[in-house]
Amino acid sequence: MLRAALCAGVAWPAAAAAQAPGSALAELASRAELVGTARVEWAFGLSDAESQKLELVLEPELELELPAGLDLTAVGRLRADAFDELEPGAPTQHERSVISRRALVGDRVDLELRELYVEGEVGRALFTLGKQQIVWGRADGLKVLDVVNPQDFREFILPDFDESRIPLWAVNTEVPLGEFALQLVWLPDPTFHDLPEEDALFAFTSPELIPSAPPGVPVTQRSVDRPREFIRDSDAGARLSTSLGGFDLTLNYLWHYDDEPVLFREILAEPTGPRVVVAPGYERTQLVGATFANAFGELTVRGELGFSIDRFFPTEDPADPDGVVRANELDWVLGLDWYGLRETLLSVQLFQTRLSRDPAGMIRDEFATNVTFLARREFRNDRVAAQLACIHGVDHGDGLARARVGFELREGLELFAGLDVFYGSERGVFGEFDHNDRLVVGFEIGL
Amino acid sequence: MRRLAALLAAAALAAAARGEPAPRPEGVEVARRINARDEGRHVSRTARWELVDRQGGRRTRETRVFRKTDAAGKRSVLFFLAPQNLRDTAFLTVDFAEPGREDDQWLYLPAARKVRRVSATDRGESFLGSDLSYEDVKLETQVGLGDYRWTTLGEEEVDGRACLAVEAVPVDEKTARELGYGRVLLSVDAELWMVRRAEYWDPGGRPLKTAHLTDIRLVDGIWTVHRVEVANAVTGHRTILSFHDVDYASPIDDDLFTERALVRGVP
Repeated sequence: MLRAALCAGVAWPAAAAAQAPGSALAELASRAELVGTARVEWAFGLSDAESQKLELVLEPELELELPAGLDLTAVGRLRADAFDELEPGAPTQHERSVISRRALVGDRVDLELRELYVEGEVGRALFTLGKQQIVWGRADGLKVLDVVNPQDFREFILPDFDESRIPLWAVNTEVPLGEFALQLVWLPDPTFHDLPEEDALFAFTSPELIPSAPPGVPVTQRSVDRPREFIRDSDAGARLSTSLGGFDLTLNYLWHYDDEPVLFREILAEPTGPRVVVAPGYERTQLVGATFANAFGELTVRGELGFSIDRFFPTEDPADPDGVVRANELDWVLGLDWYGLRETLLSVQLFQTRLSRDPAGMIRDEFATNVTFLARREFRNDRVAAQLACIHGVDHGDGLARARVGFELREGLELFAGLDVFYGSERGVFGEFDHNDRLVVGFEIGL
Repeated sequence: MRRLAALLAAAALAAAARGEPAPRPEGVEVARRINARDEGRHVSRTARWELVDRQGGRRTRETRVFRKTDAAGKRSVLFFLAPQNLRDTAFLTVDFAEPGREDDQWLYLPAARKVRRVSATDRGESFLGSDLSYEDVKLETQVGLGDYRWTTLGEEEVDGRACLAVEAVPVDEKTARELGYGRVLLSVDAELWMVRRAEYWDPGGRPLKTAHLTDIRLVDGIWTVHRVEVANAVTGHRTILSFHDVDYASPIDDDLFTERALVRGVP
């Protein structure tokens, strides 16, 4: 009955309308499935002994069988936070296109259409049309090729990527070609990383990311010059997949706007002294990449390589005319997963980044290295799951260590507790959040 | 003594002349007959997993499973339908016919939205938190012929059916460790060549678990187990696995056994 009532607002073809209203509803309900989750999570800051959030997240999901073998999926999200520390006030959402913005209800509640797409097949080709997540790559925790969708950094990289990835309106097709599969994507939705504003708990402050003006020099920030044309500013990409000699292989290409804003800088000589003007904008780049994975006994090996052409990086060199340096970027990751202990996964990854240029003043290092470690074990017939994870930035000696325990109390109800600890130099991208260590407890119910 | 031997020989000859049953088949022959039984070239079915802990707490998982066998080997894909926190998780296994070639396995985790290549050496690990191992699930009603030394111990009756009692002992310690079993005692239906009951001991010789296979019915002309109950002697945990909507007749597209299909979800 509930399902029928909830589905009553969905449009349905004329054939169904011709039936008696009751039977049309029953027919509709028989083709629909409504599920969802409700999660309550409290995060308590250990440095300042203050709550970071007390959040209720509802995620209903509707799946509906349409005529002609089509399937419709709709996923919504309601998020209510009692403390409003993660996004104080009403965020501007200037990074998002008008069709991908959240609806804000006051300062503490937001509603978002997370996904809305139709899937179907034409011959052996599969297409997915609508708002969706397109995921590339094989790495955990950090990203090399998983950049088709931008990311919401409201809680830095703490949430699952499934939650922090910003779904985009896209045409996504996958066509089998003999031993290969070709995926073609087109994303007419100019939406970029959602970065926390200055007063937010997880606002970026690391000089690795944010350039600073000399002491005493005033800074003016212009409004963001964001691409807004849905067609002209769209992204497009392709992925070719195959299996060869036991290896799962992909070749990837993405022509896209870099989701990180480029901070163009101008230094004005004014009567009162110099003034720095920052004009954020977005620039196109091309990403060429490849991935592989294979299993060798108890060991799984996986890797990704990404080469970005023409990215822009800020420089503090006052002689630089626009404050940014154009360079190519090579990123790669090698991961090893070991399954040698029963009910246990041990995983390590090595990430490296290299820039093609390193002129004086660049605030990013030419090389950057991160290593990750993950240990996960399940107990008591998968009723209890424990996980330890760490991302360590080698260059600044900073990092993020995480521990989590989940307990399935009863059917569909999981209790969880966790600890997130940032450490190291405040110059580092992890160490900058050293004051945000937190204890997390909560529960999730399947609806 | 010579007179007694002559009498026994005469009795044996007389029994043969009367057409009495042939000697019991060797253990390895029983194992071969189990594996030679028709399991269908392809099958789809819904599997409901009830996981019951020592205190009686019950959790349920519902999965849709597809299997297809051809000259290259056996491919199986499993999609979670419920509960919500596991929904859309999918698992693909390719068991190659080529001797000695390791299986290929992939896992799709919806929280990561990525297909992950996983090691296939976890034969003895619990499958989905159940009391069945990955190897148990992969083999279904077949047995790991080359993993054990087989001995027929005698005859017995299980669920009113005449069965052969067959002992299986892993061929070496490494195999025992991988499987998690030091000895298995099978009760094999002597007419259908299906295991009706199995008792397992761990590599240290301690009782581990018992499996009882019931509700065996003909579906599309193939004898099919519809209920498996496994009781773990160590943890007190039980798994009741029941199959529904078993279909050997409808063809299954090869595209279902691909990474793309894992991501798309149950057809």
